[in-house]
Amino acid sequence: MNTYSRTSSVVPASPVVAWRWWLMIALSLAGIGVAGYLSYTHLFELPVICGASQGCDLVAQSVYAKMFGIPVAVFGLLAYIALLVLLVARRRVSENLEAYVTLGVFGISLLGVLFSAYLTYLEIFVILAVCMWCVASAIIMSVLFVLSILEMKSVTL
Amino acid sequence: MSGRGKSPSQVHHQPVRERQGVTKAQIILVAGTTVVAAFLLIVLNSTQLRQAGGGAFSYPIGITQSGHPYKGPPEAPLKMELYSDFLCGHCAEFASVLEAISTDYIQKGKLQLIFHNFAFLTPESVQAAQASLCALDQGPAYFWRYHDLLYTSRAGGMAAYSNVRLKAYAQELGMDTEAFNRCLDTHAKAGQVQADLYAGIQAGVEGTPTWFLNGQKHVGFMSEDKLRNLLDSMLSQ
Repeated sequence: MNTYSRTSSVVPASPVVAWRWWLMIALSLAGIGVAGYLSYTHLFELPVICGASQGCDLVAQSVYAKMFGIPVAVFGLLAYIALLVLLVARRRVSENLEAYVTLGVFGISLLGVLFSAYLTYLEIFVILAVCMWCVASAIIMSVLFVLSILEMKSVTL
Repeated sequence: MSGRGKSPSQVHHQPVRERQGVTKAQIILVAGTTVVAAFLLIVLNSTQLRQAGGGAFSYPIGITQSGHPYKGPPEAPLKMELYSDFLCGHCAEFASVLEAISTDYIQKGKLQLIFHNFAFLTPESVQAAQASLCALDQGPAYFWRYHDLLYTSRAGGMAAYSNVRLKAYAQELGMDTEAFNRCLDTHAKAGQVQADLYAGIQAGVEGTPTWFLNGQKHVGFMSEDKLRNLLDSMLSQ
């Protein structure tokens, strides 16, 4: 067993790994876009562009749109920014730190998935309205989580 | 974290044995902590919202002898009797003005606001008014939260006042949904909403919002600045 032949070294050896990394970067950016837009409309009290359905405003103005007085979209935005920072950092830190950075990505995306599940449950069963932005964020977070599991495989002893 | 944190240069006399990475135990620890943290946050958030639904206000709230909800102490020097329709846009704007001045006037005991339903615009107005009174049955705190939620949900259009949604708001605020739904479905408050409408007409209300400040009639929306000036001038008299 040689340390330096692993696929998750500082410069990825396999094209699949590089491709996955770029996909995760792109998903974090998309997540920042969605959560950023929702945070922006919430903070400036603007209506949410929602296509044909009117679910977005119903969801955005429900009591569940805030957590401890802070819009949930802001928590989402922070999570996506943290993921992006960790993903970028992963390529720049030493190899022994890299595994822990990857573990951080896994932890944050797991937290994101659990919250998305809770919020989607609220939309469907309590608020009785679904907003496409929230669904988009839930999907982005879920894909990020699955990809982070695959990443974890390459840094697990 | 044992010796795994060492950089390769420190151990390069033995590079073959030294693998970099995390152990399964560390992954399980992170995953477990995350799940527990998420669970605790969700439970904490739900209980906080539930308490907020019927929870404390920073000023007195209650129900007048005539059965109308109020905020602000009954002994306040200024008394505003407000006639409103939940589907009226200017009423919603005026409600947010009243919310904006509440810290300075209602909370400081200078103003008492008494709410009267004047449901005349659409059938949804009547439904929403009945729903607000069903909320009042569960306490004035629920009424005011429900009132706020009805106005902020206006962006959802008419659909925001469907029977299903009116019930969903009650559930959101953590009310006793069984009692609320029964009250709404049996139109238990139909008579009172009708009586309030006639009482309003008797008092000279022709449109909404109409409000009587110490008996003086005002029609329509008033901006926050103008209302503050009006209240201040009346207080200094």
